[in-house]
Amino acid sequence: MPEDLNLLSNDEFRGRWRAWLEANYPEEWRIPIVFRLMGDDERRWHRMTYQAGWRAPAWPKEYGGLGLSLEKQLIMHQEMERHKCARVLDSGALLLAPVLMKYGTQEQRDRYLKPILRGDELWCQGYSEPNSGSDLASLRTTAVPEGDEFVINGQKIWTTLAAQADRIFVLVRTNKDVKKQAGISFVLADMDTPGLTVRPIMNLADEDELCEIFFENVRIPAENLVGELNQGWTVAKALLGDERIANGAPTLSRQAFEVLEQLVRGVGLLDDLGETDRVAQLYCDIEDLAALHSQVADAAIRGEIDNAVLGLMKVLATDLFQRVSDELLRVAGEDAGLRKPVGVAGVELDLRKIYMIARPSTIYAGANEVQRNIVATMLMGPAAK
Amino acid sequence: MGWRVDDELQQMLRDSAVHFLGAAGGPDHFRKVRASDSGFDPVVWAQMGELGWTGILLPEAAGGSEMGLEGALTLAEELGRAIMPEPFIASAVVAATVLGASETQAALTLSRALAVGERSVTLAWQEQRGTIGVPAFQTRLDGRKLTGAKRYVPAWHADTGVLVAATDGTETVVVVVDPASPGVVLRPARLSDGSFGADIDFNGVDVGESGIILRGQAADQALDLAIARGTVALSAQLEGLAGALWHMTLDYMRQRSQFGSNLSDFQALRHRMVDLYSEVELAGASWRRASKHLADGATSGIALHAAKARCSQVAQDMGKWAIQYHGAFGYTDEADVGLYVHAALRWSSWLGNAASHRREALVAHRRERDFDA
Repeated sequence: MPEDLNLLSNDEFRGRWRAWLEANYPEEWRIPIVFRLMGDDERRWHRMTYQAGWRAPAWPKEYGGLGLSLEKQLIMHQEMERHKCARVLDSGALLLAPVLMKYGTQEQRDRYLKPILRGDELWCQGYSEPNSGSDLASLRTTAVPEGDEFVINGQKIWTTLAAQADRIFVLVRTNKDVKKQAGISFVLADMDTPGLTVRPIMNLADEDELCEIFFENVRIPAENLVGELNQGWTVAKALLGDERIANGAPTLSRQAFEVLEQLVRGVGLLDDLGETDRVAQLYCDIEDLAALHSQVADAAIRGEIDNAVLGLMKVLATDLFQRVSDELLRVAGEDAGLRKPVGVAGVELDLRKIYMIARPSTIYAGANEVQRNIVATMLMGPAAK
Repeated sequence: MGWRVDDELQQMLRDSAVHFLGAAGGPDHFRKVRASDSGFDPVVWAQMGELGWTGILLPEAAGGSEMGLEGALTLAEELGRAIMPEPFIASAVVAATVLGASETQAALTLSRALAVGERSVTLAWQEQRGTIGVPAFQTRLDGRKLTGAKRYVPAWHADTGVLVAATDGTETVVVVVDPASPGVVLRPARLSDGSFGADIDFNGVDVGESGIILRGQAADQALDLAIARGTVALSAQLEGLAGALWHMTLDYMRQRSQFGSNLSDFQALRHRMVDLYSEVELAGASWRRASKHLADGATSGIALHAAKARCSQVAQDMGKWAIQYHGAFGYTDEADVGLYVHAALRWSSWLGNAASHRREALVAHRRERDFDA
């Protein structure tokens, strides 16, 4: 049994994680913002961290995680940001596992958690549908009980990294005759089940990470239901608060800002007052969001959860990431019109790709307009219709 | 409060501030000071003295309550909510920090009077428009004679004590000056928060035998700390103002009906209010971080600049949208919203406005980064 990392001082903990990253993080992955670990790279990353005792910082120890304090989890994020690590999705550990821990059966936990830890199985999240984006509860993919099976028919869309995933967790409609939230169930399926097909969608960043998934009479065992029948909406909301805090971190903005500073220097605009004002605004926005983020996290560590601010930080962080990426292209001048603006003023990252990667951040995980509605209801009460 | 947290002393001060300012502060008081000839209400100042506020940063030996910067910032936030034009920051924070660093009789006399709210004291340091941080002073002390010109001296009124920062040879000095002395030329001007500022010329003014209260490194350090504390306190005050204005605007939106709906039910307006709330939250976090850095000894740097920039900006942004959402009524002098907007104009431009502090924050960041590299 490895020692309890929680017992280390924060500085010691930080030093140890930093040293491990420096010794073990593959050099070819150190492409911040632009690069995302997927498929075999993602499996390798989970395996590496698992073997070295760094896997699943937020999971309780009884499930094989590190059971780290929120403070130490944030330190891990900060160090990965500092080391210019690639992005990694890890839907299994971050999204599904908390649900299984809270609502899953013992059999489900035994079967699925360990392979997630080891990097043996990758998961994807089947929530959005062609006509159910921000209004998720209106989803129409159906699951009909038949004997000891469910038969699923319908379509999911915007499923990230479905083509690389081994399994999927899906929200399906199991009752059409009740209030829309009350007829949804949460089920699990193997990606190689007959009738399930995946079609990757090319996006504006030239990636095919997002996919459509078609379900045609896909039969899954009844034991793949998580939680009670028609309780899926509640189950889906069982994310740990920690993840919402991670969504509000200015990580991507900071990394993009570093690129911006290189670019501003490279094109000789360091002394330009107009540019200085724009960069200064972005810089202060990042600093202040970091200040808010760390104080909100401190409050969460003490058990004070400020739901309104947690929602707002997602809006602030994603809007800011977009504005930094907008500025990158502004500074690039005519080079912003290149299909591949790489090597502009010595910056080796693809500026257009950063700009495009920033686009969906204001849409996913609850479009920012929806977030504003939710927070407005918390702050101002519900709007009369 | 949400994520914000007060320690015991701060909570006590906040409770007492909310109680006192609920009666003594707010729009009515603001209008009264605005209409007064002096721009200063000695009665309220004396009450603030009784509460221990005017001496909050002064040592007990000088009659102060010594409750520390954290407490002072809590008060500043509440004074901002109540748009108090009293010279709490100019006098009880900035001037008191300078006085507290001196062991001279002249400083002690002023400190004692300040601590009980019998007098207010102001520091004349700035000489040019847009100065951020303590500059090299052109104002000179030659023997006992002070010569130079100070601008934007805050909290001016006839009975204020006046401290002047100057250069004596190669050293910085702080002297006490009687503004009635020969050679002092005053040009007071009403500020938008109802108080007065003044440009003051010193033409060979005799500061007397015992007028010098600080000299050399001690003077430099005290001035540095005084301006830094003032800047963070002003940030807190601006954030308090913006938060109060947000709530006031929401209250109005809830009772104002157009096209059959309350303004607070229109989505476009709700989204704007959410964004403004975000700005206030950023402001609250930003000055709290600056206060921590200041407690650790940083009298300049990224956190301080970011805080004054953010808090100045949010007060102005909130003011703009508060007028808009109050509609034509918001444009009248009768509506209280204009009082907040006027206070915000003064406070956000004092000790460096948003744009200049943002630039300074970036400069500080680039300096640190180049230093690291």
